[in-house]
Amino acid sequence: MTRTQALRSSEDRLHQAQGAPSLLRVENLSVRFDGSPDDVNVVDHVSFSVEKGKTLCIVGESGCGKSVTALALMGLLPTPPARIVAGRALFAGQDLLALPERQRADMRGNQTAMIFQEPMTSLNPVFTVGDQITEGILRHRAISKAAATERALEMLRRVRIPAPEKRMRAYPHELSGGMRQRVMIAMALANEPQLLIADEPTTALDVTIQAQIIALIRQLQAESGMAMILITHDLGVVAEVADEVVVMYAGRVVERGAVDDIFADPQHPYTIGLMGSVPSLGRRQGALTTIPGTVPPAELMPRGCRFSPRCPFADQRCVSDPPPLVEIAPAHDARCWYAPLELHREVLR
Amino acid sequence: MLRFIARRILIAIPTIIIVSVLVFTLQQLLPGDPVLTMAGEERDPQVLAFLREKYRLDDPIPLQYFAWIGQVLQGNLGISLRTDIPVLTLILGKLPVTLELAIFAMIIALAIGIPAGVISAVRKGTAVDYAANVVALSGLSIPNFWLGILLIMLVSVRWQLLPASGFVPPSEDLWLNIKTMIMPAFVLGTGLAASLMRHTRSAMLGVLRSDYIRTARAKGLLSRVIILKHALRNALIPIITLSTLLFGELLAGAVLTEQIFTIPGFGKLVVDAVFNRDYAVVQGVVLCTAVGFIVMNLLADVLYVLVNPRLRHAQ
Repeated sequence: MTRTQALRSSEDRLHQAQGAPSLLRVENLSVRFDGSPDDVNVVDHVSFSVEKGKTLCIVGESGCGKSVTALALMGLLPTPPARIVAGRALFAGQDLLALPERQRADMRGNQTAMIFQEPMTSLNPVFTVGDQITEGILRHRAISKAAATERALEMLRRVRIPAPEKRMRAYPHELSGGMRQRVMIAMALANEPQLLIADEPTTALDVTIQAQIIALIRQLQAESGMAMILITHDLGVVAEVADEVVVMYAGRVVERGAVDDIFADPQHPYTIGLMGSVPSLGRRQGALTTIPGTVPPAELMPRGCRFSPRCPFADQRCVSDPPPLVEIAPAHDARCWYAPLELHREVLR
Repeated sequence: MLRFIARRILIAIPTIIIVSVLVFTLQQLLPGDPVLTMAGEERDPQVLAFLREKYRLDDPIPLQYFAWIGQVLQGNLGISLRTDIPVLTLILGKLPVTLELAIFAMIIALAIGIPAGVISAVRKGTAVDYAANVVALSGLSIPNFWLGILLIMLVSVRWQLLPASGFVPPSEDLWLNIKTMIMPAFVLGTGLAASLMRHTRSAMLGVLRSDYIRTARAKGLLSRVIILKHALRNALIPIITLSTLLFGELLAGAVLTEQIFTIPGFGKLVVDAVFNRDYAVVQGVVLCTAVGFIVMNLLADVLYVLVNPRLRHAQ
């Protein structure tokens, strides 16, 4: 079977797969900011699904809509200015986006949990670490204060915080960034969520601490069997932890597939560019590749392919017509007029 | 913590000394001769000389200062040139009145200012927010004396609900005491409520944008808990300081308000003393209010550290 035969709308495939046991299935999620041009969504028809116990990595540079997607799923978007204008997010059969706020709050920190990029500012400075973990447990579980405190202490042990009894009474400013992120993890996992969304959990940390935190998250995931959406721009981490990868550019999914396929056979010029900008120990051939330019602001967003102003292969069609996200190989989708690239050697040379 | 308080008190001492010098010298710069005022119509040089001698008004000014401060440190603020009553007695007589008025006004200010600030921050950009801001702006721009006169006209004269003026000690008639205090306390309180509301609003807006509020929401906490526990607790840190300083200002007496409602507090005492060139009383009252203000400043600093764990541990 050639790749052309496999060409078919990936949305079709998504609908055919409705019987599959996805924990979370996001369909056509679109978010707009008040004040930006009417036809430009910061998150535009984003679709993906996360299987039970698996890890989905969302990759892309700053401002591509990764965090907005995550916040929309958690119901944490600042509204206004952000508004969800379309889409569904089916979590265990329920559309998260259609739930009333009270029910969403009941799920947050319970079935779904999130950790953030900024451990230094994500904890409330005037309450102790113990208070802040215990509070989340008491919110969702009908247990005594003492039992909740005991549970919080156990969580601190599980995230390998030394002298946890002492740390329970510590204020956030008394802990280092890495320790605070461990506290955030303890807080997020205290109610054993089925899905953890980790939004660049290591970006703000020292390199040595980054590896420890990623290792910790993976271990806790293995112990609990929860699914995870990991947002990152660190392809090294992606290669290490991801099952599935979603590559986003300027609010759109540009490529989506299993981690091995994405790394072995990237099909979107943006993904290829990202791979080129990662240093590798294997081959040292001159300077690292960079993708020229930056993500266009909303008011300058191209009508066609949003990557076209920076794409070395872009032609007239790319500028005027937005390419669809199509399946270019089994379970591997790309949003490019020239995908699969093998069919367009003459253009790409 | 104790070391911090001790250090703050040590820093306050030079301030108090400077204040006392200022109070004393400013007094010397005032035009008018107290002896002439005291002597009244009588301009007999011998009487004038006797009075100058009695109150040591011919001594060099530094000597007068040391004589005065030496007595002050012994609790003697001098004797009113006008009434021959010890200044300390006068002050102690007025203090409960001013204190009561200040406490009532502060309660009204806090009870209006903080909830209004929180609500307008949470409902930012809505009609409620705009309404609260208009009211607050009016509160800041309407002069106390005008609001006071208006209230007397409406509440006392037309509706006859509250007494227009005067003061009844609570020991005599508690209910009447409260009734006489309501309007002046309201006049003072609303002015402060406006500034408390503006500060609470901006502090809350800042806090509500912070990452830890997002974390609190991510835990699934209810809005009520997020606003009243996580946000307000942080927003209150600057508000506590502000309130303490505002209270210090209230203690200095509210000259105009006390005049309008004829309340015998510090404000009235000091105005009467200035008009009569009663040096000793002016000095005593100004010194007391200045020291009171410095003490409130000290208290503000200590409270700021107490409610702010980051500072508490740094000390």
